[in-house]
Amino acid sequence: MRALVIDDSRAMRRIVGGILADLGYEVRPAGHGREALDVLEEGSRTGWLPDLACVDWNMPVMDGLQFVSAVRSNPAYRSMSLMMVTTESETGQIVRALAAGAHEYVIKPFTPDAMRDKLALLGLLPQAVAR
Amino acid sequence: MTAAAVQEPITGLLDAATVLAVADDVWTSLVGDGEVLVPLPLPAPAETVSAWVQITGPWCGAVVVSCAEATAEALTGCLLRARPPAVLEPEDVEDALGELANVLGGNVKAVLPGPSALGLPQAGPNPPAARPGDLCRVDAQWRGQFLTITVQGATGAPHAERTR
Repeated sequence: MRALVIDDSRAMRRIVGGILADLGYEVRPAGHGREALDVLEEGSRTGWLPDLACVDWNMPVMDGLQFVSAVRSNPAYRSMSLMMVTTESETGQIVRALAAGAHEYVIKPFTPDAMRDKLALLGLLPQAVAR
Repeated sequence: MTAAAVQEPITGLLDAATVLAVADDVWTSLVGDGEVLVPLPLPAPAETVSAWVQITGPWCGAVVVSCAEATAEALTGCLLRARPPAVLEPEDVEDALGELANVLGGNVKAVLPGPSALGLPQAGPNPPAARPGDLCRVDAQWRGQFLTITVQGATGAPHAERTR
């Protein structure tokens, strides 16, 4: 399985990417939404489209909500699951993200187990791990 | 100035125990299981580094984390323990301390009146100035080293005491 980890913090990209890699994901990082869209556009040409994108909310250039909206407006990315991974914990923000098209929402700080539980809800735990 | 534009001092909105409870949760999840922030003050080292995020909403201000450079490096090592870089660059330390401030800031924002917006984390030796008396500060130790978390009102925000 493939995942795109989008966060302006390189530490958080390593943390989230590490959790996913330990679960068997092939992970690519992006520092903001625009860079992530570039990865997807390139992936459309090369055949590397992720099953999952973990998306921070507050980022420079293009924030997570704008990224989610952009992805959801493109039918080519319809099969990709979107998981917000953010410090934004107000109910109104969560509703906005889900309304924009995010499938799951993880509030920082989180534990690897919490992220694994969310992936299980999405049916995105690799089979070898889920057993 | 209208009453709606007046900002409550932070001491009327949260206390140090609340900030410490937020920090405890962040420490356990992000810094590491068993890592503890002890609320006992230590003398500040000669030089400190800080990271902060701004909160903008009904309450405007910043959440600032300050510690010695060596403490920031140790914190970075903990955050990146699962995937440590071959060489720890200064940018890694700034970034990790910034992310710590970001997560603290987001969780502090959650207990303040909203809706509010969180700015992008910044780091450096000179955090924004606090308005005197309008701050909630946790003086603590992590692994026996100086560390403070300060929630402080923005100097430019219209404060309640100005109108009284």
